[in-house]
Amino acid sequence: LHRCPTAMDTDPVKQSFQAIKGAVQANDTFKNVTILSKLQSIKPLDMCCVTRKLLEFYMERVFKYREELSVQISRGVSSISNSFLPLQRTVQPCKARRLCPCSEEATRATSIINSNYDQLEVQAAVIKSLGELDVFIAWIDKHYHPEPSTA
Amino acid sequence: DGVAVLPAPQNLSVHSTNMKHILTWSPVVVPGQTIYYSVQYQGEYESLYLSHMWIPSHWDSPIAKPECDVTDDITATVWYNFRVSATLGSQTSAWSILEHPFNRNSTVLTPPKTEVTKDGSHMVIELEDLGPHLEFNVVYWRSEPDAEERSKLIKNGGISVHLQTMEPGAKYCAKAQTLVKAIERRSAFSRVECVEVEGEALPL
Amino acid sequence: MKNVLHWDPPEGLTGVEVLYTVQYFIYGQKKWLDKPECRKSNRTYCDLSAETSDYEHQYYARVKASRKATCSKWTETGRFYPYLETQIGPPAVALTAGEKSISVVLTASEKWRRTLEEGAVSMQQVYPALVYNVSMYSPQSHRMWWQCVANGSLVVPWLEPDTLYCVRVEALVPGPPRLPLPSEKQCISTLKDQTQEWKIK
Repeated sequence: LHRCPTAMDTDPVKQSFQAIKGAVQANDTFKNVTILSKLQSIKPLDMCCVTRKLLEFYMERVFKYREELSVQISRGVSSISNSFLPLQRTVQPCKARRLCPCSEEATRATSIINSNYDQLEVQAAVIKSLGELDVFIAWIDKHYHPEPSTA
Repeated sequence: DGVAVLPAPQNLSVHSTNMKHILTWSPVVVPGQTIYYSVQYQGEYESLYLSHMWIPSHWDSPIAKPECDVTDDITATVWYNFRVSATLGSQTSAWSILEHPFNRNSTVLTPPKTEVTKDGSHMVIELEDLGPHLEFNVVYWRSEPDAEERSKLIKNGGISVHLQTMEPGAKYCAKAQTLVKAIERRSAFSRVECVEVEGEALPL
Repeated sequence: MKNVLHWDPPEGLTGVEVLYTVQYFIYGQKKWLDKPECRKSNRTYCDLSAETSDYEHQYYARVKASRKATCSKWTETGRFYPYLETQIGPPAVALTAGEKSISVVLTASEKWRRTLEEGAVSMQQVYPALVYNVSMYSPQSHRMWWQCVANGSLVVPWLEPDTLYCVRVEALVPGPPRLPLPSEKQCISTLKDQTQEWKIK
């Protein structure tokens, strides 16, 4: 099956996240709960579907809620949310070309993530989801890493 | 609080070269007074999902000049809106919004200054450091008919990078262009520079 | 992936006999876990490599000091994500000199392992996009240049015979910037030019 999308440029997101990682994760006091559980068990075939659904999850349920964030974190979230738009536009054509199938497992995995979110109060869920962006981006990088460039 | 009698700044525009973005506007003039300006921005995400939300520019110290470096505000290749208001004491003007949203993929890209040298029989190039976003594509070849061009991606300027090993008695040339992966664009090439290794390589 | 927790003694108690206790927490699990080897220890570090060897997970650690009958509150680390934060050790560098060339063979460092019986895992396997930044320095001309290498070998031809060259190599992986750990500088001289030798005899 032709891999779609072929590459994802996550550098802008990584740089913005690095700037707010410490502050966001320090605000997450519920260590015994995670939002993005079981990402490592996602099969290559489901990569596109889960990527698309998680991008949507962040755009719709996480980046919107900034009222209680500091200006510094809010700026970082703005930067990340705007960097997610091109990632969504990279994945969207795959769905249009039916190259982004969702298996039962992929659908179950993303619904578990949404229910993890629902078990927390919105602001706590937002902070925790933001704090786990490095897990999401590392997972994307591992599967869509560009060929090593020289010099 | 301050009634908006102060005129709003006009003619907002963004000037962008090599991914450095400067917002400028026509100054509000009140004889004998210093006018300060506030700049806020909104990315495409905010305009789609949080249209009420405007974010203070990173350059948030009071701005007395009619320009602001908004490079750190623009961190994605999407549309950005900007607005500026003027303040004089307790008077604050209305917001003036950039007429057309700005996207960094319209930045002007210039080729880098290059310095091609030889170290013994090694061809080395050093490129101008143009800032964090910019990488370089260097094309180099042996100056002879039907020469095969080779290229090398160089991540940052300001350091010497080995291009190739040269054979005595031949001339080798190189040119470079600026690359910005984030906007998938490249500049024109710099002028060609050549170096030559004389006959038998002399000890250094 | 050798992950060692370090800390400074409490202010004003340097040199005083203070004992420390360390616990760690696997993000998403239920409770803090003890590290027996670092219970009531006078060392100001604790090796948590075994406890954090699953580099896909994230962790916290905390330390408290105790002296006689009193003990301090816990001091906690931020969230630690080995996969993105571990430093990448330098590769093993083997240099072989020719008359006018030097061959550089690089072997990726190995992931930390509990015992030698455990199979070795190369950092190249953990980070498939790992590349090497090779710096070549010519003491004679005082010039240095860099070259990025994706696979583990590099031959620099057309060098000057009987000349000293020095090499230093650093492994780079994608992800957030990490503290670089370059290899030791290694120098080697190219061989004497045999043709010159014959002419002299």
